[in-house]
Amino acid sequence: MKKFRVEVILKCKRAARDPEGETIRENLLLVHGFKNVESIRTGKYLEFIVKANDVEEAMKEVYRALNELRIFNPVIHELKVSVE
Amino acid sequence: MKVAVLKFPGTNCDEDVLHVLRNVLKVDANIVWHEHFKADSFDAAILPGGFSYGDYLRAGAIAAHSPSVKQLELMDDDCKPILGICNGFQILVEAGLLPGALLLNSTLTFICKWVHLRVEKTDTAFTNLFKTGQVVKMPIAHKEGRFFADERTLKRISERIVLRYCDENGRVTEEYNPNGSTENIAGICDKDGNIVGLMPHPERASEKILSGNFPDGLLMFKSMLKWMRENE
Amino acid sequence: MSSLSPEELEDIRRRLGREPSEIELGMFDVMWSEHCSYKSSKKVLKMLPTKAPYVIVGPGQDAGMVEIGDEIVIAMKIESHNHPSAIEPYNGAATGVGGIVRDILCMGAKPIALLDSLRFGNPAKSHVKWLVKGVVSGIADYGNCIGVPTVAGDIEFDDSFERNCLVNVCCIGVCRKKSIVPSIARNPGDLVIVVGNTTGRDGLHGASFASKTLTEESEEERSAVQVGNPFMEKLLIDATLEAIKTGYVTGLKDLGGGGLTCALTEMSTAGNVGMDVDISKLHLREPLTPYEILLSESQERMLFIVDPKGVKKVTAVFDKYGLQYSIIGKVTKERKLIVRFKGKIIVEIDPAHIVKAPVLDRETKKPSYISKAQAPIKYKMPKFSDLPKVILRLLSSPNVASKEWIYRQYDHEVGVRTVVRPGEGDAAVLRIFEGKLGVAIKSDCNSHHMYLDPYVGCMEAAAEACRNVACVGGRPIAVVDGCNFGNPENPEIFWQFREAIRGLSDFLGEFGIPCIGGNVSFYNEDEVTGKAVKPTVMVVALGVVKDVEKAKTMSLKEDGNYILVIGETFNELGGSEYLRVIHGIHHGKPPTVNPKLEKRTVNCILELIDRNLVEAVHDCSHGGLAIALAEMCIKGARGATIDIAKVPAQCESFDQILFSETNARVIIEAAPSKLKDVKNILNTYKLKHEVIGKVCSSEYFKLCLNNRVAEIGIDEMQDAYSKALEKTLFSKG
Repeated sequence: MKKFRVEVILKCKRAARDPEGETIRENLLLVHGFKNVESIRTGKYLEFIVKANDVEEAMKEVYRALNELRIFNPVIHELKVSVE
Repeated sequence: MKVAVLKFPGTNCDEDVLHVLRNVLKVDANIVWHEHFKADSFDAAILPGGFSYGDYLRAGAIAAHSPSVKQLELMDDDCKPILGICNGFQILVEAGLLPGALLLNSTLTFICKWVHLRVEKTDTAFTNLFKTGQVVKMPIAHKEGRFFADERTLKRISERIVLRYCDENGRVTEEYNPNGSTENIAGICDKDGNIVGLMPHPERASEKILSGNFPDGLLMFKSMLKWMRENE
Repeated sequence: MSSLSPEELEDIRRRLGREPSEIELGMFDVMWSEHCSYKSSKKVLKMLPTKAPYVIVGPGQDAGMVEIGDEIVIAMKIESHNHPSAIEPYNGAATGVGGIVRDILCMGAKPIALLDSLRFGNPAKSHVKWLVKGVVSGIADYGNCIGVPTVAGDIEFDDSFERNCLVNVCCIGVCRKKSIVPSIARNPGDLVIVVGNTTGRDGLHGASFASKTLTEESEEERSAVQVGNPFMEKLLIDATLEAIKTGYVTGLKDLGGGGLTCALTEMSTAGNVGMDVDISKLHLREPLTPYEILLSESQERMLFIVDPKGVKKVTAVFDKYGLQYSIIGKVTKERKLIVRFKGKIIVEIDPAHIVKAPVLDRETKKPSYISKAQAPIKYKMPKFSDLPKVILRLLSSPNVASKEWIYRQYDHEVGVRTVVRPGEGDAAVLRIFEGKLGVAIKSDCNSHHMYLDPYVGCMEAAAEACRNVACVGGRPIAVVDGCNFGNPENPEIFWQFREAIRGLSDFLGEFGIPCIGGNVSFYNEDEVTGKAVKPTVMVVALGVVKDVEKAKTMSLKEDGNYILVIGETFNELGGSEYLRVIHGIHHGKPPTVNPKLEKRTVNCILELIDRNLVEAVHDCSHGGLAIALAEMCIKGARGATIDIAKVPAQCESFDQILFSETNARVIIEAAPSKLKDVKNILNTYKLKHEVIGKVCSSEYFKLCLNNRVAEIGIDEMQDAYSKALEKTLFSKG
């Protein structure tokens, strides 16, 4: 078995509001002159080190954890998973 | 003598602090909107608890960019007392007026309960009426109250720890550390002792009806008045 | 995609004299939904007594209001957010808090406390654990952020709530009588201003979503679940209260269920005026169609009606807090709602047509389960020596165990008003900074009792809420009711609803206090399993505390003090926690309720407290006498020795005495020097009472009967009681 590093980014869905992102943009960036930043979205970053036989297996394991344990909340999150 | 109670967007405990100052201590105090705060109009400043800017990004992180911070630095130049309570402490830390960082509680939840604290340092603007080693009782109510400082910073501020979480007999143990703070640190001060930041809420422990027989919080505000009088 | 029935559509055609446009249809659809119109419940709710000389605002406006002394008014309202919370517990519960706080705020009152009344399934199940954790953190994060303390609540666990949890939130606020701002538009020429969050696609058809039962499709209806921004809510609270101080705000309404449609139609109908607004002026998050703008339920928005003379002063306040606002139109004389988009009229309608939804007459049928529920109870009585085991098991059972894991996550002290905190007394007590005046509040309902007998069960909910409030020193003066039932189109469910409200009305009538508002949530059942939730009416009682310094808690205070029980215990084990947890028996006739006796008991307790004759007060409910006594020992960290034979009772066995959940019973602790006076007062109120034991310095809770003694260590009880909930929620499963 090899070790794989799987990076998971959970971002706020476009359709769901992101009050934190909105506030950081409006009350911090815009106030201090960063007028070219159109939007900010916040999220969570998780790094998994997974033992598996191949990339597919590693990804499968991570997806399973994200879904079964409700780490990923489909109501408000968008998922981006990458592996090396 | 005039005391400013700073209000940022999202500050919640401003009226609580004002109540103690005006109604209990009969001190001239005002809630001042952070953008209107001018150092030379006041002899002391208190940053109350709450959720400035919703605690977004990090607690106190956005408020630390407020123009009021410059004014606080001017007050500091004159050694005027500045107290940061809970979110106020977080703002002072983010603004660089106090060292360290305040992180998510080790329990990962918000904690609202009364705790015992040991007074470690009495030559500050807010603890000069206590005795070193005195055990006091105050409530905490926070989610990001875990004080953290790396080894080097801890060495540097070893003489600046004002309050530590402890048991009712003053024993500082891990069991009585509610949020995982390094060395059970609940409150610290700057190098001159006029700026103090603490996570517990002294304004919630300033009246018998809330505190039982020992409104320990009130003594912090009375200490502030003593400091103001002596430094006039 | 309308939920209007053919009859309703016909009614609309008749009222308008034509076919409704697509936009109008959308407006009718949301306003005539169960959640907004109360069409199924209005007729039944008319039974409730709603008047009293001190009621300033009764049911109908955004919150009920009562005067509690010298121009001081308390506003109170309860709302439900069951369906959103069942799908997305964190945001569903959070936005529930947001909505109810705005309801109080828009009467001109400062929100000062929240109560959460919750129902979940078996907490050992993983789905339920997920819901509980989500709902509690949702309420905590939102309530804490806006600085309104959550001071009390009520939570029960039962299988019927497994997929359909109940999340009811009650908020109270305080203001001066002259500062009340009505939810009514009145003066033609006044400006209509929307303040707060930008409007987006949130919650489109949310209110009608709540009027359909949850099916497998529900997980897809995600646009219906909104995300809250408590920071913006806090800004709204501060800005609204400050704007009101200018004196130029003549009407206020929050935008909640039904969004802008609801606010515009209700405010104009109530004031018998019209409005002319251009919704293209509204600040939006993203491009929306006029239909979407009118029906969006984006959170944290308020509608202000402002005297044009003061508009600059009012908008200056919004600017100070960084709140966006849009002046969308003005109030007009003729009762007509004109909605424009970029100047062009897209809706022109008498708002009363939309607001005055037809009221339905639902059928009722007594359910078949009721007679089975009242079947005789047979079980094997435990040995006296098993009492410690039985009591410890009860103390760690979900409906009895300490809820400390929950309330430690709520900031219950912000505002420095909270004098009696969660876990300390039978109700929360808050001072209101007017001399020694304070308020007491508590929410109660035994869903299981209500299932077994909705009429008696609902009387009991009201009786318990009032009794709890009295036990801390508050005189009950008004209630609000949060009703949660299954599908009202099912006659057996509607029977439950009607019987419950009949019980509530009868109790309030005899007790002599009004209901000043409430909420009705129907369709709480899962179509897949066919299970309806147990009927639940959360009754929240408000009490006036004359002197907060005299407020009482339940912890035993001093060794040597006497323990008395007030009220007689009957053989009423039906529906008790004891039968359910220890013997697995769920049926039975629940305890009776005697409103006049409850009133006498309440008055007596208040006098005892007023005269400082008692040290601790605790009423008996879940788990009966034994659990109430155990709780007093645990909180006081003190032992007690109790003689079961002394308890005034008409029972045949010791377990009936200890575990019956008979109503109108209160336990008090009295110092020896005051015992005589206590007994005299109890006698003048003609209440059955008896000294049943003493507080003692031993570390044991001792129960004696004739020569037998059963004793439990206080530490052991404390352990079982305080750790149970957390243990269950974090166990594997």
